[in-house]
Amino acid sequence: MSSQGLSFLSSGLAIGMAAIGTGLAIGILASKAMEGIARQPEMANTIRTNMIIAIAFIEAIALYALVISFILAAK
Amino acid sequence: MGGVDLTITNGVLTMWLATLLVFGFYFMVSRRMKLIPGKAQNLAEIVILFIKNDIAEQIPQGKEKWLPFIIAVFSFILANNLLGLVPGIASATSNINTTAALALIVFCVVQIAGVVKHGLWGYCKNFVPEGIPLFVVPFIVPIEIVSTLAKPFSLAVRLFANMFAGHAVMLVLISLIFMFKSYIIIPLPVLGDVVMLLFEIFVAFIQAFIFTFLTTMYIATALEGH
Repeated sequence: MSSQGLSFLSSGLAIGMAAIGTGLAIGILASKAMEGIARQPEMANTIRTNMIIAIAFIEAIALYALVISFILAAK
Repeated sequence: MGGVDLTITNGVLTMWLATLLVFGFYFMVSRRMKLIPGKAQNLAEIVILFIKNDIAEQIPQGKEKWLPFIIAVFSFILANNLLGLVPGIASATSNINTTAALALIVFCVVQIAGVVKHGLWGYCKNFVPEGIPLFVVPFIVPIEIVSTLAKPFSLAVRLFANMFAGHAVMLVLISLIFMFKSYIIIPLPVLGDVVMLLFEIFVAFIQAFIFTFLTTMYIATALEGH
């Protein structure tokens, strides 16, 4: 396989594998937050704000992988 | 490549436009303040109260002093993010240079605030957590320094990648039409683009909020110390 083909393959793998991890993480986080809201509806606003902030932290990992995959694909 | 490149690019124009919009909005609103607010004043009050109550509350004392900076950062990023949704205008925050500059400003502000608050010695002592054995100190200090330097990096990359990724996905969807070379496929990518645009509006608000929230968090930790 040519080096360009390898770099395209690796760019696809980079974002795909990052998406697996972050997808799982955000799923677990959201399900726990929903549980929390269902148990204590009066805390819904606080939980939602904290959930969004935590999601932003997790999402950043996938976005680093996205940047790397763009670098690899643009080679 | 000596010298500084001061070419006026699309991003610079967009930033000027965003600055003008933000300045014009707050200027117009604050000139004619009424007891019973009109539509524009209501909007400004919602934004400022939201920042004051939900974001700036992390700062332990003297949060009024920090409000102008936080509101400026929030408004500027939000205006830039939303301008990217207007056809023909490229969002300045989807360029890593803009977000890196913003993150650098935040980094300098946070470090200087820490030095001013605790003095130079107190600021340096922040790199050593309290209550750890002495032989761990040489290992902890580099980690603390790296984590301090990683904060502005992650701020910059997060905002850039979020704004850039949405536009890239829309471009890929549109390029599907050219890849398939048929008119039948057109409704699908266009529908996808509409959905992505709606999501982009959400992302624009969320990312402005996240950037400001993290900035405030860093300021609060710098003022508190460990």
